Amino acid sequence: MSEVLTSISNAIIQGKKDDIGELTQKALDEGQSAQDILYKGLMPGMDHVSDKFKAGDMFVPEVMRSARSMANSMKILKPLLIETGVAMIGKVLLGTVKGDLHDIGKNLVGMMCEGAGFEVKDLGISVEPEAFVEAVKEFEPDIVGMSALLTTTMRSMGDTIKALEEAGVRDRVKVMIGGAPVNQSFADKIGADAYAPDAAAASDVAKKLVKKS
Amino acid sequence: MRTNYRINSGVRFEMLSQDQLQELFDGVLHVLENIGLEVHHDEGRDILKNAGAWVDGKRVRIPQYLVKRSLEMAPRSFTIYARDGNPKHDIHIGPGRAHFGPGPTPPNFIDVETQERRPYVKDDARIVATVVDALPNIDFCESLGTISDVHPDLAASYEFAEMFPNTSKPIVAWSYGWDDSEDIHKIAVAEAGGQDAFERRPNYVHYCEPLSPLVSTFEAVDKLIFAARHRVPLIFTPCPLAGGTAPVTAAGIIIQAAAESWMGLVLAQAIQPGVPFFMGGVLSVMDMNAMILSYGAPELALMMAGATELAHFAGLPLWQTGGCTDSKVLDEQASLEGSISCFFSALTGGDLCHDVGYTESGITGSILQTVMMDEAIGYSRRITRGIEVNEDTLATDTIHNVGPNGHYLYEEHTHRYFKTEFWYPNLCDRHNFEEWEAAGKTKMRDRVIERTRDILSSHKPSAIKPATKKAIKEILEAAEARVKDKQ
Ligand code: B1M
Repeated sequence: MSEVLTSISNAIIQGKKDDIGELTQKALDEGQSAQDILYKGLMPGMDHVSDKFKAGDMFVPEVMRSARSMANSMKILKPLLIETGVAMIGKVLLGTVKGDLHDIGKNLVGMMCEGAGFEVKDLGISVEPEAFVEAVKEFEPDIVGMSALLTTTMRSMGDTIKALEEAGVRDRVKVMIGGAPVNQSFADKIGADAYAPDAAAASDVAKKLVKKS
Repeated sequence: MRTNYRINSGVRFEMLSQDQLQELFDGVLHVLENIGLEVHHDEGRDILKNAGAWVDGKRVRIPQYLVKRSLEMAPRSFTIYARDGNPKHDIHIGPGRAHFGPGPTPPNFIDVETQERRPYVKDDARIVATVVDALPNIDFCESLGTISDVHPDLAASYEFAEMFPNTSKPIVAWSYGWDDSEDIHKIAVAEAGGQDAFERRPNYVHYCEPLSPLVSTFEAVDKLIFAARHRVPLIFTPCPLAGGTAPVTAAGIIIQAAAESWMGLVLAQAIQPGVPFFMGGVLSVMDMNAMILSYGAPELALMMAGATELAHFAGLPLWQTGGCTDSKVLDEQASLEGSISCFFSALTGGDLCHDVGYTESGITGSILQTVMMDEAIGYSRRITRGIEVNEDTLATDTIHNVGPNGHYLYEEHTHRYFKTEFWYPNLCDRHNFEEWEAAGKTKMRDRVIERTRDILSSHKPSAIKPATKKAIKEILEAAEARVKDKQ
């Protein structure tokens, strides 16, 4: 493998978010394709980070920097990937549902998805169903991710799915849900496409969801 | 007669110096005056502004003098009364007094019969209150769950209605907003015999949670306004995660949490001068690999100790945390984490120590954990009670009487003290091997379960007044009518 791609992988692993842009540019200047930079540089680096994290050898603040490095490189690669018609990994729209203010878990899900190469848009906390619908129309995500930490606000997840249906955009997206009181049977009950118990699982589930579609 | 004689009654525990505490205190004042917080409540902001706070949009900054004046207004010592007048169940808040109780609202509960984790239901509130009422070292009541088998908006109302008749120990209540706060208050007032009587002898405490970092949410402020107006002793307690929603350092999270809590203090004192106020904050670490808020981390005990010292330095009682665990079952981990935090909390004299019985990092409540921790608290309290030194306890006369080669079993001195000097376990087994074997080789968890079942089959809490029973029925009917059209 080319030296520059290896150094891109390493920059991801080391979370060099400020150097990655330059390295990405260097790789392009050396004639590497955007696709190769993504699949042979960034992704192997991020896979390594993900394995280390799951093994308990890397920690959230480190993963966060790696994920941010990935996103910084993707900013440069995105237009080129689109131009050459290479499929992007996907877009994730995230939010904590209406009435719910818990956000750190959702932020971690965002981070892990960013690390997996997704473009992530975070609508924040207490997001109304209508706001999800609007954002789906505007941002055109592949996945809508909802977080709820309260038994009272879990109801808003179902409401949001209904709102997506009523707006006629439910078919365009996969819905993933999570948060402490949520489980698989609740996901089935409200017609979500997937449930993930934690942030690392969420990015794995997200990858599977876009593969299926 | 002794002169210039100093007595240390109990174990002395001191972590931070006066200089360090002053620095933390100044840090809180700095955050409140220079950084400020967002207050998402129009009326709340108006009240703060009238009291002298600087309001800029949603951002509220509080000048130092106003914080200090509010600290002056809040009492350090006061009493929360047992609903039935039983003085043994009164809680006297004041220096050197640590009290313990369960925590609020996890979604799941460990079933006492099956030991399986399942959603919390209404009858669990009765179970928890009854056991709390019977346990000698548990002083106040919280439910350890969110009732799942009623309309979701009424979980807090039903919970209070279920607990109140089943314990006369003071309850720390939570709620979602104004309406359920009102349901709860009406029940407590019915038993107290009216609002005036309640104000003289408050029989519950209300709990509100602002958002870290640095936001006083609408609900938290609304509930605080309700409590302050009705002179309900109140707790304003954020739940910052070190490294996540607060600085990673212990000193940093303590000042942020204090600033978040003291915004509530200033507001409460502006509404109702002198209303009892507990500084709050569940302070712990976000585990950077497991991605949970850890309830079993040593840093929880440590940060809570720092917060307690700061609160006491500022003249406020503290809402402590302990007796909780990240373990999923009643095992060695649960015992280790819970016991050490109980002991540490007892040492600090943190005024109301809650979450005794939280497992799975606050996702599952377990009254079995509470029962096990009752033993750890008893054990801790024996240590914190310390060594009494006086002519009688020095026992020189008795030593003289017995002399070399004798024994102390017949001594009047032994008879006089053996019950109070020694602590006797309820759950820890001290029998010899044969006796233990003959009694069924039980493990700690077996004895915890047995004790819990015994309490549930035999303990009878004192009854509430018939008029209160009627009031509860009416309050719940009205509450049902209120939510009838909400799905
Ligand atoms: C899209 O796909 C996905 C996939 C996976 C997803 C996902 C989405 N979203 C999350 N995940 C998953 O991945 C993440 C990382 O692995 C995980 O996310 P988590 O968020 O679970 O994990 C975080 C990394 C760490 N965990 C947390 O941050 C949550 C910790 C606990 C203690 C908690 C906190 C901190 C707070 N709280 Co709240 N709070 C509790 C929590 C108890 C607990 N242990 O969960 C819980 C959730 N709270 C509860 C309650 C009752 C409340 N809280 C409230 C308030 C707060 C604070 C503001 C104080 C604070 C939030 C601050 C903030 N900035 O987020 C109130 C409600 C406010 C509101 N309207 O939202 C209030 C109602 C309390 C009150 N009476 O005021 C309980 C809910 C009970 C229930 N049955 O609903 C609760 C379980 C606490 C308890 N033990 O009782 C997974 O769940």
